[in-house]
Amino acid sequence: MPAYQLTVNGRARTVDAEADTPLLWVLRDTLGLTGTKFGCGQGVCGSCTVHLDGQAVKSCQTSLREAAGHAVLTVEGLSKDGTHPVQRAWIAEDVAQCGYCQPGMIMTAAALLKRKAHPTDGDIDEAFADHVCRCGTYPRVRKAVKRAAGGVK
Amino acid sequence: MTSRRDFLKVTGAAGAGLVLGLHLDAKSRPGETAKVLFQPNAFLAVRPDGTVLITIPKAEMGQGVRTALPLAVAEEMDLDWSRVEVATAQPGPEFKNMQTGGSTSVSTTWTPLRKAGAAAREMLKAAAAAQWKVDAGQCRTEKGFVLGPGGKKLGYGALAEAAARLPVPKDPLLKKATEFRLLGKRTPRVDGPAIVTGKAVFGLDVRRPGQRFAAVLRCPVPGGRARTWDEAKAKAVRGVKAVVQVPTGIAVVAESTWAAFKGREALAATATWDEGPARDFSSAALEAKMRAALAGPADDARREGDPAKALASAAKVLEAEYSFPYQAHATVEPMNATAVILPEGAEMWAGSQSANRAQERAAAALGLKPDQIKVHVPLIGGGFGRRLGTDFSTEAAQVAKAAGGGPVQVVWDREDDVRHDLFHPATLHRLRAGLDGSGALAAWTHRIAGPAVLRSWTGGQKSPAQAAVESNGALDIPYAIPAIAVDFAEVEAPTPLGWWRGIEIVPNVFARECFLDEVAHAQGQDPLALRLQLLGSRGLVKFGREEADIRRLKKVLEVAAAKAGWGKKRPTGRGLGLACHAYDGRTYAAAVAEVSVAKGQLRVHKITCAVDCGLVVNPAGLEAQVEGGLAFGLSALYSQITWEKGRTVQTGFHDFPVLRLADMPAIEAHVVPSAEAPSGMGEPPVPLAIPAVLNAVFAATGKRIRQVPVGPDSFK
Repeated sequence: MPAYQLTVNGRARTVDAEADTPLLWVLRDTLGLTGTKFGCGQGVCGSCTVHLDGQAVKSCQTSLREAAGHAVLTVEGLSKDGTHPVQRAWIAEDVAQCGYCQPGMIMTAAALLKRKAHPTDGDIDEAFADHVCRCGTYPRVRKAVKRAAGGVK
Repeated sequence: MTSRRDFLKVTGAAGAGLVLGLHLDAKSRPGETAKVLFQPNAFLAVRPDGTVLITIPKAEMGQGVRTALPLAVAEEMDLDWSRVEVATAQPGPEFKNMQTGGSTSVSTTWTPLRKAGAAAREMLKAAAAAQWKVDAGQCRTEKGFVLGPGGKKLGYGALAEAAARLPVPKDPLLKKATEFRLLGKRTPRVDGPAIVTGKAVFGLDVRRPGQRFAAVLRCPVPGGRARTWDEAKAKAVRGVKAVVQVPTGIAVVAESTWAAFKGREALAATATWDEGPARDFSSAALEAKMRAALAGPADDARREGDPAKALASAAKVLEAEYSFPYQAHATVEPMNATAVILPEGAEMWAGSQSANRAQERAAAALGLKPDQIKVHVPLIGGGFGRRLGTDFSTEAAQVAKAAGGGPVQVVWDREDDVRHDLFHPATLHRLRAGLDGSGALAAWTHRIAGPAVLRSWTGGQKSPAQAAVESNGALDIPYAIPAIAVDFAEVEAPTPLGWWRGIEIVPNVFARECFLDEVAHAQGQDPLALRLQLLGSRGLVKFGREEADIRRLKKVLEVAAAKAGWGKKRPTGRGLGLACHAYDGRTYAAAVAEVSVAKGQLRVHKITCAVDCGLVVNPAGLEAQVEGGLAFGLSALYSQITWEKGRTVQTGFHDFPVLRLADMPAIEAHVVPSAEAPSGMGEPPVPLAIPAVLNAVFAATGKRIRQVPVGPDSFK
């Protein structure tokens, strides 16, 4: 079985696992990066969202084979010290309740704002269409995205 | 009232600074035996370096207890909030009741936490006064320091040792609300920074040296058992280490979660089942039984006047049937727990809302004493009552033992979580209203038929409190009506049941507040005017086990209506609807929803909510609970669990929809100021969303919807 090479949060990693292993479990169980969450494993809750070459993807629907050779960014790598504009906006708006779905939301927000500095409400609705927050933090998610708007390079 | 004499004592060892233990009494759910706790179950420790550790006996699941409870201590103690650390307790002799539910965390801990802070403050002042040889009355406290005459200043850390040797004041003076520096101000959640950087540790994030991961193959029919299976198929999957039988099913233990899932999938293809007594259960069969029960015998929850006679002699009788389906909790973090067997007992990590029960049940399953199991409560990725159950934690202990004792994390996938929930059960409601010759509401009857949730908490026994508990939200109808009957007809169902955010008040208040809307329209009355008239000028009113202040309910109703612009003209196609409820006589809430319906699609534009929960500890937390509570309630308008052949039809978020961002209405939360002791806010907004929205649908379209969930066909 081949070992796969990928870059995770700027660091080259070699992973010896089955090709069909979802990136989610490579991150959580092999690499110990538990900031990326398991919510459904079916690609419909968004908790496992990471960036693959800058694009927001669901890591539960991305196999190790697909991720190999690419750059993966997780919530742990978003900033060194929690100062990414989206993280700061999240704190300023006190978004989190239980907090479990939030790393995925934050990764989606960061990718959205990189793509579109000043998203409309419709853009925000669309970007978060695949996210579930059972605590109902949505009004604050929207406010935090707007607060961070323009600040993501 | 429980006596709070001697509720504080110095418990720290020398060198640890000042450590105070205190004990808190907890309001119990009806049906439980009320316990008075005599041992300490929360702690605060001033360390020699001046940092203060506050250990709270409640689980954090998003409701903000790790922020709100320490604030009460910090306020009285005049702490520097930035130097406060918060720890979650572990169950044991010092923490005998960590149960977190029923919106009770703040109300039950408020006074003792403040007294603990105030006592510590007085002891630190006394220690400083002794050192300076001045009168304690000449000293004051500010942000972690004692200040004395002539510019004298000492930090709490430097005073802690001396303070610990002083007697604990029995009845320290508490601050007046006007002196509050932290309480009532917006304080961000203490776990925010850890959450946004991915460092926060939830149950699934627990990692122990040598840890394995397990998935359990369970019979899709609750209560069923595996008859045959071929473990070789699972063992052929790379990474699978063991296949073991536990009472809940067959566990596949592996090096990674994915290997466990794949191994289980291979095993599933080989399994045959004894599906057990629930094998033929279906939603259709249950509904037929519930409908029959609407006309059969029932247990009285409330009976006043002579409703039968009043209905018989009424000039007009309205009758309607409301229905509410089974619901799942659908926490985003699926059930999970981690356990390891040790020579002296066991250790567990379980996101439990009931850590003491988790400890007791796991101990019973392993043949240990509770104090032989150390239970850690990590952050909880959504509780909503689901994690009051101990099924997932006991199972992890059993898997760890069966697999040889090493650390194992049992991971439920989404389908496990939906299929093996401890469900909120369906109910069917029949309501009748009698209007007299003048059109006034003279009689009200509300029959509720469905499975009894309380049995899930009483070992299957029927509690004397059953009718009252299952009728909560219906029996405490706050309106003055001459004849009232509320009763509960139990219908058995072979499904696991459990507490769900709001529990019975969600369906009961839905039926009650929508049917009252029907009465208003039948009378040609404005729904707000009818409610205000029926609330009248009464003060405290007793409803069986609760007492509510009708003036406070009336006030939130008036505020919500005024803020929402009730009575003002709306664009065509838009409608306003309202609902209100006095939650357990402690928290008062009213909501006005604004909706439109176009092309069969419901759009909820806004919900304006007014609340009175007594003194507000943290406005930021309160608003979050209002937003979240309404979102949870609104979500239930669209979701249901249905049963066929003993199993749930739904298996995940794709067919059990949870409200998404695009469908979240704007929420306005207005607080009615109050000097009363704080109550809770986790559950009170939940039951308002559905009736406010469906009453607004009627206002917008003239269509009365009495059945949840709604779908596109509901609006045709």
